[in-house]
Amino acid sequence: MDFSYSPEEEAFRSEVRAWIAANLPDGWGRVVHEPEDEDARYMFRLDWEKKLYAGGWAGLSWPKEYGGQGATLVQQAILAEELARAEAPEGLNIIGRNLTAPTLIHHGSEAQRRRFLPPILSGEEVWCQGFSEPNAGSDLASIRTTAIRDGDHFVINGQKTWTSFAQYAQWCFMLVRTDPAAPKHKGISFLLVDMASPGITIRPLRQISGESEFNETFFDDVRVPVANLVGGLNEGWKIAMTTLTYERGPEDALARQIRFKRDLMRLIQTARTLPRGRGKTAIDDPVLRQKLASSVIEIELMRLNCLRSFSKQLQGKPLGPESSFQKLYWSHTAQRMYETALETLGPTAVLAAGDPLVPGDGQFQTGFLQSRAFTIYSGTSEIQRNIIAERVLGMPR
Amino acid sequence: MNFDFSDDQYLFHDSVRDFLGDRWSVAKLRTHLEGSGFDDALWRDLSELGLLAMLVPEEHGGLGLGYVDLALVLEEFGRHLVPGPAVETMLATDIIVRYGTPEQRAALCPAIASGALRIAPAIAEVEAGFDLDQTAAVAVSSGDGWLLSGRKILVPYADSVDRLLVVARFGEAGPLGLVLVEPGRAGITMRPHSLLDIASRAHEVVLDGVATGRGDVVGGGPSPDAVLRLADGGAVAASAQMAGVAGKVLDLAVDYANQRIQFGKPIGSLQAIKHRCADMLASLETGRTAAYYAAWALADDPPERARIVSMAKAFCGDAARSICNEGLQIHGGIGFTWELDIHLYLRRAKALEYAFGDAATHRERVMSATLLEMEAA
Repeated sequence: MDFSYSPEEEAFRSEVRAWIAANLPDGWGRVVHEPEDEDARYMFRLDWEKKLYAGGWAGLSWPKEYGGQGATLVQQAILAEELARAEAPEGLNIIGRNLTAPTLIHHGSEAQRRRFLPPILSGEEVWCQGFSEPNAGSDLASIRTTAIRDGDHFVINGQKTWTSFAQYAQWCFMLVRTDPAAPKHKGISFLLVDMASPGITIRPLRQISGESEFNETFFDDVRVPVANLVGGLNEGWKIAMTTLTYERGPEDALARQIRFKRDLMRLIQTARTLPRGRGKTAIDDPVLRQKLASSVIEIELMRLNCLRSFSKQLQGKPLGPESSFQKLYWSHTAQRMYETALETLGPTAVLAAGDPLVPGDGQFQTGFLQSRAFTIYSGTSEIQRNIIAERVLGMPR
Repeated sequence: MNFDFSDDQYLFHDSVRDFLGDRWSVAKLRTHLEGSGFDDALWRDLSELGLLAMLVPEEHGGLGLGYVDLALVLEEFGRHLVPGPAVETMLATDIIVRYGTPEQRAALCPAIASGALRIAPAIAEVEAGFDLDQTAAVAVSSGDGWLLSGRKILVPYADSVDRLLVVARFGEAGPLGLVLVEPGRAGITMRPHSLLDIASRAHEVVLDGVATGRGDVVGGGPSPDAVLRLADGGAVAASAQMAGVAGKVLDLAVDYANQRIQFGKPIGSLQAIKHRCADMLASLETGRTAAYYAAWALADDPPERARIVSMAKAFCGDAARSICNEGLQIHGGIGFTWELDIHLYLRRAKALEYAFGDAATHRERVMSATLLEMEAA
């Protein structure tokens, strides 16, 4: 057990830090911020992602043959920490990097890996995820979107929902029903679909935060080459489990942890100056201090849970269903933190962005609203608990 | 950067687990409900296994290991409800090794390593609790030494140990330090507490002008750093043991839920039960993360040690509390019976939850440390 960094790792950190400082816009975070308009903001994030690629920082720990650097997970974690320290923009191609790539590395053909992995890193091809449907949420295996073989193509008909970033995506990986007669888990296949294909219609869905990150996506006689089938026909469920393991896993959680910690530190900073009458500030309130301390502890332990998983991975032990406990843990931890954020604001909790009296420019209210989704997406807490109980604790179905 | 134990550490852990599985049981612990509570046979077994020698340097006949090596052992102690004063002696050993004079180390360490010397820290007081700043026990200078007076509570196994390691102030408003005295020395009286953790023992100890010399004082004089480390060590040992108790209770609850049939099926197939168990697992695993990290902080001693230790004590305290309560609930009526062992785990976890400061105290310590770190940044 060792939490120190080697001299090589420290040198790597200095190199990363210098590059970030030289490549973020002048005045970043003080006078220069992300664009307010949602479309412009996502394009700004994509530009930053391309810049990272040009600088040689994309896919650090990926295998070299697919455009990666073959670096260690520790170096990847250092890069993530330094980007967070500089409050650099997030990327846009999160689904491509975190979900498409590991899924193809595990289950894709060599041709698929060579075709699809490099443009994910370069930011040329953004990905979205076609799993959920209006009638297939927690019961994901009940999807109805069909793919019927027609010569060397599949023809897709159906509807997907909660398709994040579909409006910016060049590609979509999706679950389709290829054998309606088989038991529901055994008739599903995993397809890669070009979003420029004729027959795809995207309709934005507005979220409670007011943003429209996700969409409804309709497929009408969309033709997909058979070469875009991942794994075998009707083997899609097993592949989807790999995707979900990464979606719920420690790399995803570590990136989130860095953002939660940043928000928590801003919150504590706010609490130190927010007047509460009689010459006191919010941080003097002993009840609030207890809640803030709980968040400090829980958010820091979120990072350490990730490091524990990483260490396991480094020794070649695969990620398994126990990654479900990470998602269950961090989603509720983060929700508690944003509730505490509103309690910290006290009477100004009910103000929102745009009001001159709202502390922190409304970011805590936005964070609170966004946090309500944490225990729903990538598998609700109820589904995570079923998985933990049945596959980790061995309880009966 | 590596957050895992070494193969050697896992092997050592396996041997301790197997050993306790073979030689120790809750049935044996139940014999401790009467009498002195000190188990000679268990003590001999633990010393033969080398556990008391773990923290003793090799030059004094020990194994020269540290808190990271100890973490899994402490967890196993919690899991098996191993009684004192083994952990207490280990906490004192760490302090003597780091802060004792060369003469003290040479005199005490070989005896500790061989199992011939048992030590119990005397920290808490009626008014101060475990808040060191409020310590009222005082060592007043007298000739070549000090006269030690004070009233300590919750001193583990005070009538079964060879030395008490007493936290006291040197002079009325002076710095804190540690004094080693035999429980039988003139001026010391004690009475056993009646305890919630019925299989454990602890005493109220009154020191009334106990004569002590320079050789009795750890390091030869006041040593506030040693006192802080003793308290941090206790908090980490309690955290790791709570993780062990909680892990055992989750196992008991899952086993019971899988075999208890109601409504024609195992209650473990009901989401009301499985979802509780899943939440228990998430707290348990995060508690382990916290306890292991805190053990590393004691071994490596980084500047933020206090914050890391308090994180573990606060989180593990809350986790053990909810896991033990939920575990008992899952057992239903049988869980409320004296015969079933689960109340012994509940009682031990409760004792550990309050030992060395409760969760609220440690959360406040985390908050203060966080604010100081922010100001320094």
